[in-house]
Amino acid sequence: MAPNTGTNSALLDERILSCVQRTRLNDGTQLPVLPFYFVQDLARGLNRGKNAKPDQPRGRAVAMVERAALALGVCPERYLRNYDAYSLAEQLRLLEGDLALVGLGGLGGNVLELLARAGVGRICAADGDEFVPSNLNRQLYATRRSLGGYKAAAAAARVKLVNPAVSFEPVASFLGEADMARFLEGAHLCLDALGGLKDRAALLRAAGAAGIALVTAAVAGQSGFVATVLPGATGPADLFGAGAAAEDTLGTPAPAVATAAALMAGEALNILTGRGAKLAGKMLVFDLNQMSFETMRL
Amino acid sequence: MPIILKCFATLSRFTPPEAETYALSPGDTVQSVVARLGIPPEDLKLVFVNGVHSPLETPLADGDRVGLFPAVGGG
Repeated sequence: MAPNTGTNSALLDERILSCVQRTRLNDGTQLPVLPFYFVQDLARGLNRGKNAKPDQPRGRAVAMVERAALALGVCPERYLRNYDAYSLAEQLRLLEGDLALVGLGGLGGNVLELLARAGVGRICAADGDEFVPSNLNRQLYATRRSLGGYKAAAAAARVKLVNPAVSFEPVASFLGEADMARFLEGAHLCLDALGGLKDRAALLRAAGAAGIALVTAAVAGQSGFVATVLPGATGPADLFGAGAAAEDTLGTPAPAVATAAALMAGEALNILTGRGAKLAGKMLVFDLNQMSFETMRL
Repeated sequence: MPIILKCFATLSRFTPPEAETYALSPGDTVQSVVARLGIPPEDLKLVFVNGVHSPLETPLADGDRVGLFPAVGGG
């Protein structure tokens, strides 16, 4: 007789608790931790039975084990160094988070890397582009080997390698405005990591129509900005138009791109953990020539 | 007390040498300062006065901080 789901989850909880090790934190408190290799073993255990491939823990099983551990107040070892930044309850919210990312170039690759490591549960990402040599200066997944291949495919391979608990859905095509509405369905948050101004206003409208916040960023030379636009509010894309932009002459060097991507990821995690957007209605503007950062009100 | 001017990205080439202590003329607005700097109006997309998005007609007073932005969209 097959055990029901309740019994299965009780069994998983019991197994997790039997694997817990206590780690002493600097302040003297003890944190229950589920060691990394036990997560793999428990996930393999979940995969046994019908249709299972015992030697390949599927991402879904890994995510299930990590969520169950967090619900029990146990920290999966891979998130140990996030312990003080994100509580276990917040980490669980991240694993239940659902994010839509548009653009997998300089901003998108860097932001995806950070969000995959943070353990965002589901990420749908769209980019129809292929890597070309001029991407190599800044795009994390552009390598000599990936040149000519789809950015979406390179991103999928990387996420699987970094954190299989992330359910990553790549879309290797450019989204028109009609596609955007469908693409954003079910997402809790949208990230605008597009290059150029052409599609940014449409994405801003689509996120507004979907009733979700949009975190947007752009870079030109050593300057850049990050902003959060709540549904119905004015965003940078409304002000910039769709014509030529400063990066056409100034380019997009890696330090500015990675800075903008890191700020974007920080804000996305603020929103997905439930802490709330810190840049809503604002624009954080930076200039790495001057090493200046300032937050402006839009 | 003069104003503090900051021109971002492609507008930085219009930065006057005394940007940190830019002297106002009587009746100056963002628009008159922008014209004096020689910034083409179509290149200026976003103006911040004292950290707040502001219209071109905003009158300026000593001590104001003015930030000028072109369109920026690189990623």
